[in-house]
Amino acid sequence: MISLASYLVISMILFVVGLMVMIARKNIVAILLGIELVLNAAALNFVAYSKFVTNNLDGHIFALFIIVVAAAEAAVGLAIVIRFFQLKETIHIDEATQLRN
Amino acid sequence: MIDILKLSVQLYAPELVCVVLMCLLLVAEAMHHEEGTDRTKVYLLATLGLVVTAGLLIMNLGAAPSAAFYNAVVIDSFGTLMKLIMVLGTLGALWLAHSSKDIYSNLKSEFAVMAVGTLIGGMLLASANNMLTLYLGIEILSILSYVMTSLKREDSTSTEAGMKYALYGGLTAGVMLFGMSHIYGMLGSIQFAEIVPKVAELQGADQIFLMASFLLFFAGLGYKISAFPFHMWSPDVYQGAPIPVTAFFAIVPKMAGMAVLIRVSHLFFAGDGALSVSWVGLLHVVAALTMTVGNVTAIGQDSVKRLLAFSSIGHVGMMIMGVVVLNEVGTRAIIYYGMAYLFMTLVAFWITSVLNDTYGTDSQAVFRGLIYRHPVMAIMMSIVLFSLAGMPPFSGFVAKFNILSVVIEKKYYGLAFIAALNSVVGLYYYMKLIKEMVFSKAETTEPVAGFTDSTRVLIVALTIPVVMMGIFWDGLMGLSGGAKLFLQ
Repeated sequence: MISLASYLVISMILFVVGLMVMIARKNIVAILLGIELVLNAAALNFVAYSKFVTNNLDGHIFALFIIVVAAAEAAVGLAIVIRFFQLKETIHIDEATQLRN
Repeated sequence: MIDILKLSVQLYAPELVCVVLMCLLLVAEAMHHEEGTDRTKVYLLATLGLVVTAGLLIMNLGAAPSAAFYNAVVIDSFGTLMKLIMVLGTLGALWLAHSSKDIYSNLKSEFAVMAVGTLIGGMLLASANNMLTLYLGIEILSILSYVMTSLKREDSTSTEAGMKYALYGGLTAGVMLFGMSHIYGMLGSIQFAEIVPKVAELQGADQIFLMASFLLFFAGLGYKISAFPFHMWSPDVYQGAPIPVTAFFAIVPKMAGMAVLIRVSHLFFAGDGALSVSWVGLLHVVAALTMTVGNVTAIGQDSVKRLLAFSSIGHVGMMIMGVVVLNEVGTRAIIYYGMAYLFMTLVAFWITSVLNDTYGTDSQAVFRGLIYRHPVMAIMMSIVLFSLAGMPPFSGFVAKFNILSVVIEKKYYGLAFIAALNSVVGLYYYMKLIKEMVFSKAETTEPVAGFTDSTRVLIVALTIPVVMMGIFWDGLMGLSGGAKLFLQ
């Protein structure tokens, strides 16, 4: 039987993995993937709580909104990354060093 | 359905006007785009729409607080005043963009469209009454901001700034959502009205878990207002973005984030349980560190945009002090602060923008000897810098005084002491810029071409409120006097 705890553990793992990807990877596209993992961890939490704890539709609706907004955010993020690639010919985060103290 | 129809349109008319305006601007640009011109007609249309919005907001000011759309949004005087500040900020940034060379002329309409779109997000945020509207407001605000930051497409710093903004923004939005999902799971609903009473019922371990969730939730808000420790993106983005966009960011997203921070703090933590104590403690630390980091780091900056970015972090720290006290006087003080900060920021960025257009850099050196070439402009810049530093008799002083007095009234002496120290530090770096303008000899005596007659009149007109609000400040404070600010 799959319980609430299993869902929470999975989402926690997704969240931590997402954070680790954002910190450790140097490829900007990989960092965007990390953001998606974090967002999906939250969406999974909402749906799991909705099924096991609260028994209302709030969580489901929230999860749908998260999916839609994440798509919009990824589109804008990728567009900016493409522009960055056109100007610098790399998508390595360490090349983004023009703005500094 | 019936519930929606029964609702008076007047309550959400400002947002409605803005949405229609955004569509109209898109159509206007698509159908009548005139290559090479500076799109004055589009800007006049945008101005008309924003003035109507402001008028409708003012009409809403006196109305009794009420909830709309199944409690998804709440219309009250507090939210309306915050929206008014945002609308005025958008209007100012719009005309700055019109005259600035930092926005390519074939992208000027896009700036107008996205500024109005961001404003819609900010307005939604200022009246958010459940977690979903809060999240959507933040995302509308953020996603459009990323695009606005990288609006200078041929410039690699602008693109880099946009990218950094998008990455930080995505991360903090995710962290905030993760916190929200646990709050939802523990309290059983996303409606603020339904979950607020349940907060008090929690005991022991549940309380700690909820506080941890709220900490994650704070990441999203703190990022939007660039509070410590989520402020790192802000100087980079401010420096990389075109100047009108920077001026816009200094006002609209900040006030929107501040509005939602105030609303959440007042709704959830107005009592005196363990949760409230820890939230107030958290805000204490955040306010003190935000101020200190902002002001201390501003000292060594040569780029004026970057300097104003750090100074705005310092001002946010000041404003958070008004949240710490968690009472209506503190909220009024923040609204006044926002109003005063709006005009100071606009003037400072406007003059920087003109100099940046002429010399191609925003280093402090371009201000050298400004008083010998444009005495009036140099005096206006000095007035706003004095005001930003919090010197009497300007509005910046009254704003700081109001905040400090409520903090002292609550007996948070330590915080007030740190704030006073920060004012001294602030004074130092603002004075350095004034010294550069007044006491250094200019290399040339040629006037700066960008200061046309209309620009100068506008700058003087924008400085007048900075002085007037410092002298006749009780009128503005009394504006919301009778009305109850919140719908609880």
